[in-house]
Amino acid sequence: MEKPAPLGFGLGLRPVYYQEILEKSPRVDWFEVISENFMVPGGRPLAMLERIRGTYPIVMHGVSMSIASTAPLDFDYLRALKSLAGRFQPEWISDHLCWTGVHGVNLHDLLPVPYTSEALDHIVDRIRRVQDFLGRRLAIENVSSYVTFTESEMDEWTFIRETAERADCWLLLDVNNVFVSSFNHGFDQASFIDAIPADRVVQLHLAGHSEAVTHKIDTHDQPICEDVWSLYHEVCPRFGSISTMIERDDNFPPFDELMAELDRARATAACARTPAHEAAA
Amino acid sequence: MKLAELQMRFQAGIVKGDNAILASIVDSRRTDRATLFAVYHDAYRMRLAEFLSHDFPVLRVHLGEEAFGRLVEDYMSAPSRQPNARWYGTRLPDFMQEMAPWRRNRSAIDLARFERALSDAFDAPDAPISTIDALRDIRAEDWPRLAFEFHPSLRLLDLAGGTAQIYAALAQEEKPLVIRQGEEAILFWRNDGQSFYRPVAEDERLALLEARRDKPFGDICALLAFQNNGDDVTWRVAGFLAQWFADGLVTRLSISD
Ligand SMILES: [Fe+2]
Repeated sequence: MEKPAPLGFGLGLRPVYYQEILEKSPRVDWFEVISENFMVPGGRPLAMLERIRGTYPIVMHGVSMSIASTAPLDFDYLRALKSLAGRFQPEWISDHLCWTGVHGVNLHDLLPVPYTSEALDHIVDRIRRVQDFLGRRLAIENVSSYVTFTESEMDEWTFIRETAERADCWLLLDVNNVFVSSFNHGFDQASFIDAIPADRVVQLHLAGHSEAVTHKIDTHDQPICEDVWSLYHEVCPRFGSISTMIERDDNFPPFDELMAELDRARATAACARTPAHEAAA
Repeated sequence: MKLAELQMRFQAGIVKGDNAILASIVDSRRTDRATLFAVYHDAYRMRLAEFLSHDFPVLRVHLGEEAFGRLVEDYMSAPSRQPNARWYGTRLPDFMQEMAPWRRNRSAIDLARFERALSDAFDAPDAPISTIDALRDIRAEDWPRLAFEFHPSLRLLDLAGGTAQIYAALAQEEKPLVIRQGEEAILFWRNDGQSFYRPVAEDERLALLEARRDKPFGDICALLAFQNNGDDVTWRVAGFLAQWFADGLVTRLSISD
């Protein structure tokens, strides 16, 4: 099981930045694209991606696979995803450990699953079928969640580890989601991180979130907070050199601000790997 | 509880506000389960409203926040069945046409159709466009049988008179105008990644409709002449043709049999 080579430090490709990216060819190692944004017949998004793909590696990140849903797999969606991947040759394809609706409805959200053995069997089976169909391993991401189910029989991290090992898939570890969920559910971040099989993690997500008094919400509309930087610094040594990207989906700042955050990620990862850090740890 | 049952209750909690799902959720140390579940319930509404605001920004200004909010709520009563958020608002103009009180609001419906046409043009299929130079290769005797293919982004809508002006005024945050009597034909298309629109006169509208039905140049000229008391209007159709090339609307010429 050989992981794809690390891509370095990337950003999300969002329409507000197309022009700037094309004009300035910024020092971003790769871009992550939201697959659904390009599942359209034609027009500017596809033309832009065509041009940007000429210069940068990309990975495709989806939000609608609904891998944990009890509704049947949507093969129209999967066919469109496969054909998009055929055209743009992403380094890998990812989606979330969540469901988005049942009975033909799409709630356009990343909904949480109860951590039960029934759900685990169900999800493992579906990931395997999707991987067979796409002819490649998927990277599955941990989501932020706001509720804990009475039905749950195991921890989220046990559930994720079991999913990855039994489905033989990659993992996308969202550091901000670990932080948000640990706050919301009161679990220990280290237990989560330590349980994640490092040899399956192909990518890290960093992002900002918003705060309510009693809980935090994963909104991707803020700069990365200090707590998440600190957690990122902590997890870096465990995953070694790993593709890392910053998600920003709303309240878009000037591109330079994202570049500055990306530089901070580079610096944080480099410093976390120095011998001085290891000695201190 | 089986996963399927739990997901059904969770979804009913989001869409209909059913409380049954709360029995499967635990309070957190800081707050109660209803508050936590409300994060999903509220985010759902906010997200769908965002999709519609994104696709219908001018309709939103036209109706004002309160009425647009009501429209969003009404439209939400049928949940999204699209895996791609891009298509969520596709049915909004039809929905308004069918549902009270919206069906009485002609200017709002036609603004919705207008904005919908702009977004449909935006990501319609690609096709290489032809330049006016292609006309040079057409032999004089073939002109009457000259037929046209158009860019897949092309949309031609009959709207309430003044809709395009209302759109332009609101888009630039000017004082909105009111719709006029009668209708206007608006042409929508995409060129180089951008959506465009312009009003078309009655005779150009007719020429376009015929050309899109694969009617050749000769037939179009004959029809327009007939509409114009038999006067030769070939010069005017040639003018339309030049404009269609300039707009980037024509993808292919052929000689029909
Ligand atoms: Fe993420």
